[in-house]
Amino acid sequence: MINAVLVFNNNGQPRLTKFYTQLDTAVQQRLLSEIFTLVSARPSSACNFLPLPPLLAPSTSRSSSTEQNDAPSLVTYRHYATLYFIMISTSTESPLALLDLIQVFVEALDRLFENVCELDLIFNFETLHAVLGEMMVGGVVVETGLDKVVEGVRAQGRVAKRPVNEGRMGLTQGIWAGR
Amino acid sequence: MFEKDIYQLIRGLRAHKGKEREYIQSSIRECRKEIKGQDMDQKATALLKLVYLEMFGHDMSWASFNVLEVMSSPKYVQKRVGYLAAVQSFRPDTEVLMLAENLLKKDLNSPDKLMIALPLGTIPHVINASMANSLLTDLVPRLSHSNPAIRKKTIVTLYRLALVYPETLRPAWPKIKERLLDENEDPSVTAAIVNVICELGWRRPQDFLPLAPRLFELLTAGGNNWMAIKIIKLFSTLTPLEPRLVKKLLPPLTSIIKTTPAMSLLYECINGIIQGGIMEAAEGTTEGDEVARLCLSKLRAMLVVEGDPNLRYVALLAFGKITSSHADLVSQHQDVILECIDDADISIRTRALDLVVGMIHANNLQAVVERLMKQLLDSGHASNTTDPAQDYAMHDGIVPRADEEEDELQSPVQPKDPKSTQAPPLPDDYRISVIERILEMCSRDTYANMNDFEWYIQILVDLIKQCPAGLASGGYGSHLASKSQPSIADAVGAELLNVAVRVKAVRPEAAAAAQTLLLLENRQEVFPSATNGGQGVLSAAAFVAGEYASMLSDADAVLTSLLDDSSASLPAHALSSYLQALPKIFTVVTSDQQQPWTYARQSNTTLLTARIVHFLEPLTLHPDLDVQERAVEYLDLMRLASEAASNQQTNEQSDGYAEPPLLLTQAMPSLFSGMELNPVAASSLRKVPSPDELDLEAPININLNMLLQEADYDTDFEGDADEVHKLYHERPSAVVTDYQRPAAQLLEPPNKSSRSSSYQAGETEPLDGEALERKRAERRERYKDDPYYIDSQRTSGTSTPMHNILRSSNGEELDVDAIPVMELKLDNSREASDRERPANPRVASVKKPKKHFVIASDETLGGDDLPATQIAAATSSTAKAKKSLLEVDSSGLSALSLSEDAASNGASQLDIEHRQAEEEEMHKAIKEVERLRLEMQRAQERVQPRDIPEEGMVVKQKKKKKKPKVEGLDEQQVGEVNGEEGGAAVKKKKKKKKRREGDEQVDDEKGPGDGEEEASGPTKTKRKKKRQVTFDE
Repeated sequence: MINAVLVFNNNGQPRLTKFYTQLDTAVQQRLLSEIFTLVSARPSSACNFLPLPPLLAPSTSRSSSTEQNDAPSLVTYRHYATLYFIMISTSTESPLALLDLIQVFVEALDRLFENVCELDLIFNFETLHAVLGEMMVGGVVVETGLDKVVEGVRAQGRVAKRPVNEGRMGLTQGIWAGR
Repeated sequence: MFEKDIYQLIRGLRAHKGKEREYIQSSIRECRKEIKGQDMDQKATALLKLVYLEMFGHDMSWASFNVLEVMSSPKYVQKRVGYLAAVQSFRPDTEVLMLAENLLKKDLNSPDKLMIALPLGTIPHVINASMANSLLTDLVPRLSHSNPAIRKKTIVTLYRLALVYPETLRPAWPKIKERLLDENEDPSVTAAIVNVICELGWRRPQDFLPLAPRLFELLTAGGNNWMAIKIIKLFSTLTPLEPRLVKKLLPPLTSIIKTTPAMSLLYECINGIIQGGIMEAAEGTTEGDEVARLCLSKLRAMLVVEGDPNLRYVALLAFGKITSSHADLVSQHQDVILECIDDADISIRTRALDLVVGMIHANNLQAVVERLMKQLLDSGHASNTTDPAQDYAMHDGIVPRADEEEDELQSPVQPKDPKSTQAPPLPDDYRISVIERILEMCSRDTYANMNDFEWYIQILVDLIKQCPAGLASGGYGSHLASKSQPSIADAVGAELLNVAVRVKAVRPEAAAAAQTLLLLENRQEVFPSATNGGQGVLSAAAFVAGEYASMLSDADAVLTSLLDDSSASLPAHALSSYLQALPKIFTVVTSDQQQPWTYARQSNTTLLTARIVHFLEPLTLHPDLDVQERAVEYLDLMRLASEAASNQQTNEQSDGYAEPPLLLTQAMPSLFSGMELNPVAASSLRKVPSPDELDLEAPININLNMLLQEADYDTDFEGDADEVHKLYHERPSAVVTDYQRPAAQLLEPPNKSSRSSSYQAGETEPLDGEALERKRAERRERYKDDPYYIDSQRTSGTSTPMHNILRSSNGEELDVDAIPVMELKLDNSREASDRERPANPRVASVKKPKKHFVIASDETLGGDDLPATQIAAATSSTAKAKKSLLEVDSSGLSALSLSEDAASNGASQLDIEHRQAEEEEMHKAIKEVERLRLEMQRAQERVQPRDIPEEGMVVKQKKKKKKPKVEGLDEQQVGEVNGEEGGAAVKKKKKKKKRREGDEQVDDEKGPGDGEEEASGPTKTKRKKKRQVTFDE
């Protein structure tokens, strides 16, 4: 299952934090900064899998294979322009499929906001949560189809574009610069 | 007051560049006010702002009640904010959760599908076992909701419910299964079910075997890659249980591998084939060989493909999974894998490193190690502490910053700036793991692959320079930290020592290496100033230098380095090793017998001793005991040596040849030379033959038979079979009688023994004093040469100081038998509890013959012992498997069977029986404890009435504490009392039958229980209630 979904920008500013276990706010922040430290040090040519941050590293020997299935063992990330999308998951998830899942997440946001950019996510973080809520519940993926996710979010009400006077619009042409 | 909405908050944040903290604090203050107001809109807005700020680490747990208020709003938009806030801010200790239960139930039953979706998404985040129990009745019907979106979310929510409350699956699983088998079900609902089954699957694969045909159908139907991946993952856990699946799976998997455009599905097919053991299972058949060839060629292709590091990473991951079973297959590809240890990406390097360790042989060892060394040398240290910009973990929180440029925020087109091409600094943990791997590769199978030890020693010295500053060695002068946490430098040191001891031929080189490491003038070079991580090696180096001091090229210099003032501040274990090396080197330097004892030599020696004494003196007050002891010992030795040296007549004084002092040439060398050190296998101690004269069968206490007879007699009297059992199992050893102060004392003053059936004469009728004395003298005579015989007088006088103290405080002539027995017993019990002797149960059982002494207070603790240790063992074992931070524990599921047919649920029946047996055992133990406690209480009432309230309270507390513990152990997940009450509400008709069985069980147990003292009645009925509930669930 997926243990946490995080979105932060190039400076480590969180844009979305979703933990599927109850954690102290302070611990959440610590984990966030540990992952940011790891992820920001990586060159763009590196692969999309992170070593476990110190907070998640198995304290004892890494042998016990059966119990390990419950423990988070995979940190997958994708970098889109100014934003990092991170998923922490157990070994029951497929690493490559998670990369696709992040892509679906971002594409759904793009559909909803039309050329989504960080500013949209800052001002509409509630929508960000709604999209994630359509894709997974309690850490288990419930929908991977782009159309259904978008449809589910739209059903909850009008998705606001960023406030009109907030910067210029229509500047952005490209879709996904990230890999 | 002006109110801000969320947009204004964010804008304000962005406008207050540099003063975000103040701005946030004032905003939170505003929110506090707004959230207390009456206007629901305002409340919801304030809450949304708090949720936003919570993302940046600003605690909002204080608002949990307001969250609840907003959750209960009738407006969807507000309700949504409330639910979001609950998800983000509720913690396991949030108290208002109890109040949320009814709200969740209500919203689950809402006619509006949007409303239902809110609790469905929130429940997984806040659920606990007691709530799960009560929400279950509202959730299960949602499985057949008309909207597929609700159905799929319900399924997943039920899964999370099952994790905290496994019994969820009993009512829910049949319905979920029905959904899965329904071909007309919405595909995304089916996919959600498959996801859940995949999560459940590895815990109880056998329960999902019946679903294999349907899953197979879904796999071949294709369409949804995500689902196909999950099905393959599930099948890889099923194939070991059902070998026939292998043949069935091979064709579709092969065709997917050949045809699918999705790399993720391709990879998971290969992974599934590897993990499910399909490769071995199909070995030999043409299909199997084809598939194995196909998989490995695909994996190899992934490794060499240009431009996609992700594929390299996952391919190495897959290789890693087969190394244990197919080492030969993996080593066929070692050429490409070896290339990966130099990959630009550290994640890939780490994976490759894991694999490479298994591929090392004598021919490639040096090449691989040198490659890794080059890696370490070429890249700088990435020290967290030196670069504040990277030190995010040390900040106390992330402050939202306002420094983002508008343009940057709005330009998703720009790819991230490419980082500089120079090799990035290696993180410390990678560095450590490389060093570990080098040591592992080199020392594998006692250096089986090592051809050149001189080279190895050089590598070890070089490695020291690469040791990152570890926490363990960072504690300069902290004496405990360094010992408990061996750093990587310690491991390198251990290797150096190991080589020096094992390989005689390179000892000179090892000694030279140790010298290099120890010399102060090399310190800058060997331990680069930025890191003190290498310091851990000093301990081993000092030992090598001391042990092989004669091979040191410059022993004087080493001695000077050891004696430097800075050495005194080394960690304790290094320092104690230094202290041990000092006299050894000193001996080598001074013990030359051939040279005449000249004035120069004399003054040299005295100077040296003076320096050593000067170094040692302050260390005699060192906080570490080991250091202190060695310092004291060698200080004296050095003073002796100094005295000997200055008293010995020199050549000049004696006008001729003078011998050097014998202490220096003979006595001191003999202290340190002797048998050579040899490596000893860890298990060899067990193989030491036991001496012939040791006969473990021989009775230690010849009186044993008598004791047992005594016990027989006594237990007959008491009519308690348990006591006999106890006595036989907890053999009263002779040593224990040593502690039997009261009994032994009783024997001493023989005056009025008519009342006391003494310990040694217990079986016979009371003797008069004279006869007793005579008998004792007789016995003493008989056993006087038997060292194992515990003579009351002999031992009381000499070997038990406790007794002495008591005797002196009581007066030598104390007539113990004259003391009323009650008082004596009390005294004894207090003494016993003061000392907390481990031998207590045995003492008690031996003491049984004294019928007035029936219960000492500690005996209860003795009876307590068994369950208590069990619990301790259980908790310690769970504590050992420490939960990872984000882990959602699913271990509760493994105890629950999903085979739902009431008739054939053999497995769950077994589970229940098992649990019943466990419970019975626990029940018995508790009963015993309670009985003993009661007896003790009564005894105390008799003895000292004023103590009762106090003591009684203590006992009660214990009982309370113990109960939930015991229950918790049995039930694991249930625990909470209100959960149990709720359980009654969820009772299903189907379970009636089982319940009746449970009741019968209770009745059965009631039989023997009836004969108990009525005082234990209340607690018993309480327990019975709990038990009954257990069966219901």
